[in-house]
Amino acid sequence: MASREWLGVAVLVVSSLGVTLSALVPRRALARVAVVTAVVTASASVTLATVALSDPGTRQLGRWIVVDAAGGLLIGVIGIVGLVSTLVSPQVLGHGRGSLFQASHAERVYWVTLFAFWTVLLAVPLAGNLGAAWLAIEATTAASALLVGFSGRGRALEAAWKYLILTSLGLGIALLGILVLSAAGGLGLETLTWRSLAHARLDPHVTLVAYVLLIAGLAAKIGWAPVHNWLPDAHSEAPAPVSALLSAALLPAVLLVAWRSQHALAPTIGERTAGDVLVGFGLVSLAVAVPFLWRPQAWKRLLAYSSLEHMGVIALGIGFGGRLALAGVAIHIVGHAIAKALGFYAATPLLGHEPRASGHSVDGIGRTQPTLGASLGISLGALAGLPPSPLFLSEVLIVAGGFQVGRPWAAGAAAILLALGFLGLAHALIETVAGTPRRRDRDTAPGLRAVTALTVVATTMLLALTATALWLPDSAIVSGLLRGLG
Amino acid sequence: MSGGLSWAMVALGIGVVVFRRRSVAVALVTAQALLLALVALRGASSTHDVVASLALGVRGVALATFFWLLVHRTRETRPVRAGIEPLARGGAAIGLALALIWLIPDLGLESAAAERSALTLVAFGLVTAATRRATLFQVLGIVLVENGLAVAALALPGSSSLAIEIGITVDLLLIAVVAGVFHERIFAEFGAGDSTALGSLRG
Repeated sequence: MASREWLGVAVLVVSSLGVTLSALVPRRALARVAVVTAVVTASASVTLATVALSDPGTRQLGRWIVVDAAGGLLIGVIGIVGLVSTLVSPQVLGHGRGSLFQASHAERVYWVTLFAFWTVLLAVPLAGNLGAAWLAIEATTAASALLVGFSGRGRALEAAWKYLILTSLGLGIALLGILVLSAAGGLGLETLTWRSLAHARLDPHVTLVAYVLLIAGLAAKIGWAPVHNWLPDAHSEAPAPVSALLSAALLPAVLLVAWRSQHALAPTIGERTAGDVLVGFGLVSLAVAVPFLWRPQAWKRLLAYSSLEHMGVIALGIGFGGRLALAGVAIHIVGHAIAKALGFYAATPLLGHEPRASGHSVDGIGRTQPTLGASLGISLGALAGLPPSPLFLSEVLIVAGGFQVGRPWAAGAAAILLALGFLGLAHALIETVAGTPRRRDRDTAPGLRAVTALTVVATTMLLALTATALWLPDSAIVSGLLRGLG
Repeated sequence: MSGGLSWAMVALGIGVVVFRRRSVAVALVTAQALLLALVALRGASSTHDVVASLALGVRGVALATFFWLLVHRTRETRPVRAGIEPLARGGAAIGLALALIWLIPDLGLESAAAERSALTLVAFGLVTAATRRATLFQVLGIVLVENGLAVAALALPGSSSLAIEIGITVDLLLIAVVAGVFHERIFAEFGAGDSTALGSLRG
C-alpha cells in the first residue's frame, strides 16, 4: 500500500479506537479520553488533507481507498469539525436534561455513537468504490439517528424517526441504482471503483436510469429538495455539536459521492446530461429554501434551511463543472463548514441565555449579549454571503462558472435566487443582532468563552479563505478537482 | 429466479401492504427473507455464494426474532389505523409498481421476472412506508425495499462481492435495530407506535 493509503487507513483506525475506548474506559475518564482521541484523529485527518492538497496532481486510487484533492478537502473539514464538536460536547452533556438512554449510560452511549458517526463519516470520502461508499453512508444513518434523538424529547424522537425512515428509503433507491449499474457493466459490487466506472463499457440508457436512481436516492441524504423534509427537524433537534457535524460534514461528504458518480458516469451518459441532473436539484433546492429564509425562524432551524440553500449552491457548481465553478465549490464547502459549525456551536450559549430561542426567532441578541451577538452575526453574515465572506466569492465564481460553460439560463436563475436568499438572511442578521430585544429569561450564556475563542479562530479562517479564493481558480487544486478520479 | 418464486415474493409483499396486524406482516417479510436465502443457497456455486446465502438467512432470522420481540414488548390494545383503506393502499402499491416497470427499461438482470419482482417489492415498500401510520409498518416498508434489492442482487450477472453483501446485511440490520429502539421509545412516550402522534407535536 502507498503512504497515502496507509494514512487513510490510519485515520479510520484512530477514530474507531475512539469508539472502543469510549466503550471501555471508566466513566470519570470518558470526556478526557474522548478529547485526546479526537485530537489524534483530527491530526491524522489534517495531515492526510495536507498531503492530498499539497500535491493534488498525485492520486491514490485503490480498490477500497482513494485519496485525491476532493477527498482531502472533505477529510480536513470532517477532521476539524469532528474535533471541535468533541471539545464542546462536555458542555452540552453537562446541561442536558433527560436522554433517550438511561441516565447511567447516556454519556457513554453519546461518546460511542459520536465516534462511530465520525469514523464512518471519515470513511465516506475515502471509499474507493461505489459499494463501499454506500455502506459508509448507510452506516452514518444508524449512528447519527441515535444522536439526533439523543435528548429523548418528543420533538427529537419525531426528528430522528423522520430522518431514519426518509434517508433509509432514499438510500434503498440509491442501492437499486448501484445494482442496476453493476448489472449494466457486468461488474461485481466491489469492482465498481471510481476509475473502472469511468472506463467501463456501459449501456447509456441503463446507465442513465442507474444514475438518476443513485442521485435521487443520495439527494434524500444530502438534503436536496424536494426530499429534504428531515433536514430542518434533525438539525434543530440534535445536540449542537451533532448538528454541526450533520450540516458541515455529513451533507458535503455525501455530496462528494454524488460528485464522483457524476464524474465517473459522465463519459457514458454525457457531460451535459450528468450535469443537468445536479443543476436541476440545485435550482429546486435554492427555490425551496428562499421562502423559508424570508420567514422568522428559530436559530437552528434557520441554519438548517440555509444548509438546504448551500447544498443547492454546491450542486449547481458541480453540475456546471469547469474551472471557475469547481474553484467556487471548493471554497464553498470549506467556508460553509466554518460558518455553519460556528453558528451551531453558538446555539449552546444562546439557548442557555434565551431558552425560547429553541422555538422562536432571536431578536436583538447583540444588545443584551454583545459577544454572543458577534458570534451569531459573523456566522449568519458569512452564510448570507456578505462581503468579505468567502461564500460571496464562491457564489460569484459558481454563477460565473455557469456562464463560462454555456448555461446562461441556469446561472441567471441561480443568481436571482441567491440574491433573494441573501436578502432573507440579511434581514434575519439585522433582526438577530440589532433588533428589539425581548425579555431574557437568564443573564448567563453558558459556554460563551469557548464560543468567543471559536469565533476569533473562525473569523481568521474565513478571511484567510477569502484571500485564498483569489488565486484558487488557476491553482493545481482545481486542476486536480477537474481531473477527478477517472 | 423462476417466475413462480418471483410471484410468491410479490404475493407475500402485497400482504404487508394490506394486512392490519403487525405480527402477520412480520411473518410475511420473514417468509420472503427465508425464501430468498433458500433460492440463493440452491443457486450457490462456490463457498462465497454459500456464505452470502447464509448471511441472507441469518438476516431473515435475526430480523424476525427482533420484530417479534418488539411486537410483544409494545402490545397495542388495537391496531393503529392506517388512514388509507387497504384496497386503496393495495391499488396505490400496484399502480406504483406498474409505473416503475413501465418507466424503467431493461435493467440487465438475469431474468425479466426477477427484474419485475425487484421493482414491485421496492414499490410496495415505498407505499407501505408512506401510507402506514404504525411505526413498525414503516420499518417493515424499509425491509420490503431491502428484500426487493436482495432479489435484484441475486439476479446480477457475473460475480458479486462477499464483503459488500455482508456489509449491506449488517448495515440494514443496524438500521432495523435503531428503528426498533425509537419504536419502543415512541410507544413508551405516546402509548402507541403511531407516527401521527409525532406529527401532532408541531401543533
